[in-house]
Amino acid sequence: MKRSTRKSLPIIIVATIIAILFLLPLVWMVFTSFKTLSESMASSNILPSAWTMENYVSVFSSVSEAPIFRWLFNTALITAVGTFLVVMIDVLAAYSLARLNVPGKKVILGMVFAALAIPGIVTLFPAFYMFKEAGLLDTYVPLILPYTASTMGVFLMYNFLISFPKDLEEAAYIDGASQWQILYHVIFPTIKPVAMTLGVITFLGIYNDFLWPSLVTNSNDMKTITLGIATLIQGANFVNPAKMMASTVIATIPGIVVFLIANKYIVKSVTNTGIK
Amino acid sequence: MYKGASHKIWSVLMVSPFVILFLLFWALPLALGVWVSLHNWNISSGNLGFVSLDNYKSILTPGTLYYDLFMKGLKNTLYFVVISVPPLVLISLGLALIIDNLPRKLKPIYRTIFFISYSISVTAVSAIFLWLFNGNGGYFNNVLESIGVIREPINWLGEQPYAWLTILITTIWWTIGFNMMLFINALDEVDAALYEAADLDGAGAFSKFISVTWPQIRNVAFFIIIMTVIASFNLYGQTKLITGGGPEQSTNSLIMNIQTSVFGMNQLGIGSAMAIIMGLIMMVIIVLQYWLSYRNKE
Repeated sequence: MKRSTRKSLPIIIVATIIAILFLLPLVWMVFTSFKTLSESMASSNILPSAWTMENYVSVFSSVSEAPIFRWLFNTALITAVGTFLVVMIDVLAAYSLARLNVPGKKVILGMVFAALAIPGIVTLFPAFYMFKEAGLLDTYVPLILPYTASTMGVFLMYNFLISFPKDLEEAAYIDGASQWQILYHVIFPTIKPVAMTLGVITFLGIYNDFLWPSLVTNSNDMKTITLGIATLIQGANFVNPAKMMASTVIATIPGIVVFLIANKYIVKSVTNTGIK
Repeated sequence: MYKGASHKIWSVLMVSPFVILFLLFWALPLALGVWVSLHNWNISSGNLGFVSLDNYKSILTPGTLYYDLFMKGLKNTLYFVVISVPPLVLISLGLALIIDNLPRKLKPIYRTIFFISYSISVTAVSAIFLWLFNGNGGYFNNVLESIGVIREPINWLGEQPYAWLTILITTIWWTIGFNMMLFINALDEVDAALYEAADLDGAGAFSKFISVTWPQIRNVAFFIIIMTVIASFNLYGQTKLITGGGPEQSTNSLIMNIQTSVFGMNQLGIGSAMAIIMGLIMMVIIVLQYWLSYRNKE
């Protein structure tokens, strides 16, 4: 069914107005980061009357109190290692559960489903206490490993595999392929779209997490960028919107870049979350 | 196929990293949480003795400090669930319908624009909206004053109902794209032949939505409602950073108050019991919603 452009015009106008409203906070953030302090608080114009770089200079020169690049590095490390671990661990577990008839399969699947139903708040503070007693607060360990306990990935990939025919694997097995060869040449390519989806969901989850990192880190140097921005909000930056927005622009860019690159997989990921 | 001892070893090796990490970082904290909730347990000095269900009793007995803390947090959180779920579901459905009716070439552009704020962390979102809505020098007040809508600046963050309105607008802007994507995908699945049949019958846009679209997307809609209720129940970052729980603790969410009892009051036992009660309340609400949507299908 084809619509003529004339017929679509009203809906394009409505969509454009909403799109402008949606982009306004981001546009305001970017422009404000180039305003002087006095203009950023007094003006109702969105564009700066005089462009200044002083806010960025100030962010770069105050890295000793607010190590924003260290926070970006921490975030890159934690999201990369965490996402890789979650995807690998969950692919192997889902394969073993769906195809290999592993001993205790029913018990493990039961745990996976139970964990999906229990809200995360229940384990949050005890998990913090465990890391505190183990002397691991303020290290990368609690910032990475707890994310691997999530059962959502196993659930997604197990569901995918059991609904996927195993002819290829059987053929490879009869041809004498080893377990690793089957994994590498058959399972990985098959499961790739779901694994990418899981990767995107996991990345965004770790990147956005605020409460958990705030519990398990003390020092400025161990913060993630998400947590670091919270520190700035609650600290001295609060009184200076222009400088605050310069920090926020720097903090927001990595997420938006990953989002735009992974856009295709995010679109799929939402479909793949298993509901129809 | 797949028989023999070496095969069994492989299967165990492959599943064990997940099982070990799951037991260590999910099952163990869960068990510890239940155990701690039955004790007088401090963050700083550890276990001070078994108290049976006393923690639960003091949280659920009117008049105690912990009752006030828990119930106030619960009340605020439920209020937010009630005011946030309808707009988060209805507006996202509206956006999805708009996208669905756009010319094919324009769809990805608008879809990306409506969804992009989802990639921004809650703390950055809070930083932006904190200064858009700040009572003193905030951009929104400056604009309203310059076009003459208001004379005095509105105290968006420090007065009700403005504080909830600010939290609500922030949450809608931040998360609505996710619900919209789910609706878009559901709308894509609707059979185009059904629309053509409805067109032949001369159905209007509204009756087409009710009789053709809605039956096809209702399962997704129920799923989205449940997901949104869970997300709104977990309200934390926005109120922590934008309103700081104010004015007069009216935006203190349940998670914020549980955090206060654990860290501010040093009561890990009480906090664990509160978290377990909160978890149970959420599970009851979710089961109820499943039951309602299942019953409606019959």
